[in-house]
Amino acid sequence: MPDPITPLTPHERDMVAHIERTQSPSEVLRELKQNLQTAIEIELATIPIYLFTYYSLLRNKQTGENIEPPQLFANKAGGFIMSVAVEEMLHMSLSANILFAMGVAPQLYGKAPAAYPTGLPYHDPKGPPGPGGVTAVEIPLARLSFEQLWHFLQIEYPESRLTFPADKNWDTIGQFYSYIRCQISTSFVTDADFRHGAAASQIQPYNYSPNNVDTVYPKEKFDPWKVAPPGHLPPGTTHDRHPSASAAAVFTDQADSHAGPAQLVTVSSKRDALIAIDTICDQGEGYAREQGDETPSDDPSKREWSHYYKFLRVQAEFDRYGSEEETLPDDPKPPVAIRPGVSDAELLKAQVLFDFPDNPVARDYPDELRPLADFCSGLFQYMLVMTETIFLVPPSGQKRFFNEALHRSMIWVLDKYIQKLRDIEVPTGPYKGKPMAPVFENISLRNQKDSFAALTELGEKAMAAAAAIQNNPNYTAASKSGASGASYYVSYALTYQSNGYPMHLPNVAPYWP
Amino acid sequence: MSDPQRTNGQPVPEHNPYKDQPAFPTTIGPQPEGLPLHACMGLNACAGADRFGTAGPPTTGKPNECAGQGYCATTADHTCHVKNDCRNQGGCGLYGTGEEMNQPAKNDCRSLGSCATPINAERFSTNGPNQGKSVWLRARDVFATEVWPELRAELLHKQAQGQVPATQKLPEKLGPVPEVFAPSGPTYLWISADNTKRDNMTACGASGMSGAGGCA
Repeated sequence: MPDPITPLTPHERDMVAHIERTQSPSEVLRELKQNLQTAIEIELATIPIYLFTYYSLLRNKQTGENIEPPQLFANKAGGFIMSVAVEEMLHMSLSANILFAMGVAPQLYGKAPAAYPTGLPYHDPKGPPGPGGVTAVEIPLARLSFEQLWHFLQIEYPESRLTFPADKNWDTIGQFYSYIRCQISTSFVTDADFRHGAAASQIQPYNYSPNNVDTVYPKEKFDPWKVAPPGHLPPGTTHDRHPSASAAAVFTDQADSHAGPAQLVTVSSKRDALIAIDTICDQGEGYAREQGDETPSDDPSKREWSHYYKFLRVQAEFDRYGSEEETLPDDPKPPVAIRPGVSDAELLKAQVLFDFPDNPVARDYPDELRPLADFCSGLFQYMLVMTETIFLVPPSGQKRFFNEALHRSMIWVLDKYIQKLRDIEVPTGPYKGKPMAPVFENISLRNQKDSFAALTELGEKAMAAAAAIQNNPNYTAASKSGASGASYYVSYALTYQSNGYPMHLPNVAPYWP
Repeated sequence: MSDPQRTNGQPVPEHNPYKDQPAFPTTIGPQPEGLPLHACMGLNACAGADRFGTAGPPTTGKPNECAGQGYCATTADHTCHVKNDCRNQGGCGLYGTGEEMNQPAKNDCRSLGSCATPINAERFSTNGPNQGKSVWLRARDVFATEVWPELRAELLHKQAQGQVPATQKLPEKLGPVPEVFAPSGPTYLWISADNTKRDNMTACGASGMSGAGGCA
């Protein structure tokens, strides 16, 4: 088996020597910890950006045999964006595990971007210009569009192996992680430095799954009545015009997309830390590809594209792709345009794209909608608190806590809550006529110990607002239904019980001093 | 081109092989006392334990005769990952790890199960060794080879202590599932009553590939 750790490049070896020559061991350790916290904040910054665009897509207005080309594209784009978002959550977890191993509690709560559009921490993009001829622009919360995909490319722009590692003013995320690799690779950093936080208390490999039904998309129309293989139906049951859902499914992430023994590794040595960094870089940029590979994959089986290439493939289906509006690097070789191309207008007309306002903020929603927006931010912040709490939960209880906290909040609460919000048409103010979009603000939940109580207060206000909307003539029946549905998911998050057992989000208070 | 007036699920197959089967029950009938609930068709532990319960289907009034023969889930229907109430009551295939997806309807306790119940026959695993394959067929296999031997031993022990009726048959070999469903498990065509009752079951997933009426 080849060593899973990518060897240092000549520039990285030079940087290691430079660091050892110019810094003391204590300086290197201090800066490494700071950089790991910055890495967490970089990964965290991408998540609201990707999720916002993801939720602008309606992926299943048409299913099965009724899928028309705009729907097929929207479903595919959603699958790819979610596949990247899932891996950004993995990257955040990996950086957090390394930092925790060094004895520092990872900080996430309140660490998302303060406002949008936003830059990424210490990012100084110098890549090719995008639409409008500008390179260094900030990244918005925006619905899917040709421009937004260019911003995604800007985030995931691949590092050249000839560029220098950098912890400030980096052009690519790869440069930043390259610098961290150099710091870890110095003789100043030893295995003992990664044994200050127990591996058993870190986020465990068993919590991560690369695919789910939301990272999957159909490559073509499918027969929804056909059963999954190796099952079969009595002869003559279906028309046999299209494949089954399972045969049409494309799995956008792959289980072998990682450098070490698992995608989500725990850390108790330099080697573990370097493996974690390699996984982050390979998934983002397809760095592990061999010389001459034109398609950047990030896994030995060559079935998963890098983040950059996933987004580029989605963008290649836009009718504006290939025009002179956007300059792309030669490496990796840009895919050919897929024709006929789609346009924003076509997606909006087909009602598979929500015309979200750009960079919405709670204060610009009408008074009666603001509590619903605040709960969205509060829930997002509480998910960050719960992630911090994982490191405090006794290891024997981590699996259950992770399921009840993170899986439940992401899949069953936030996902459904946002879907209900977007059914609400904003009746007044700057966003008049637009569907309500999620907001991901750094709203205060007080301290971590009180955060569930604070979220509960936000939830009570949101439910009261949803109830009041039912009697507000400014709102359509569909909007009222959306508000009512959102209110249901608030109650699910805070108070839901089944057969006498609490099934709501866990209160983290017992874990915090 | 598709007909723009079509709604999800259409066109519905012209031939419905389940017309002679009892209709999918939306409510769960009375269950044998002291015996475990389960996640889907053919995963029941004893006679009379299925969705129709001890009274049996209204068409026959005859409950299923033994373990493995039952019609569909008796656990409180749930739509999503980590929403199961109890041991061995999770569905599977939509969310969760490869390991979880390789042992559908086998989970240690509440909140550790995966995904919606019942397990519709169209559903495929999205992770792990069973990726792209039938969740229900895997669940039936896991039930037969792993869950039932362990569960049977527990129930035999309880039976010896008088906690399970002596009349309850606990055969070593599972009984067959209803014949028309044996090659696939419960199809959504049957669950949705020929696509007329899509709300009979929902399963999560924005991709629309869960094979059931979606909660998205």
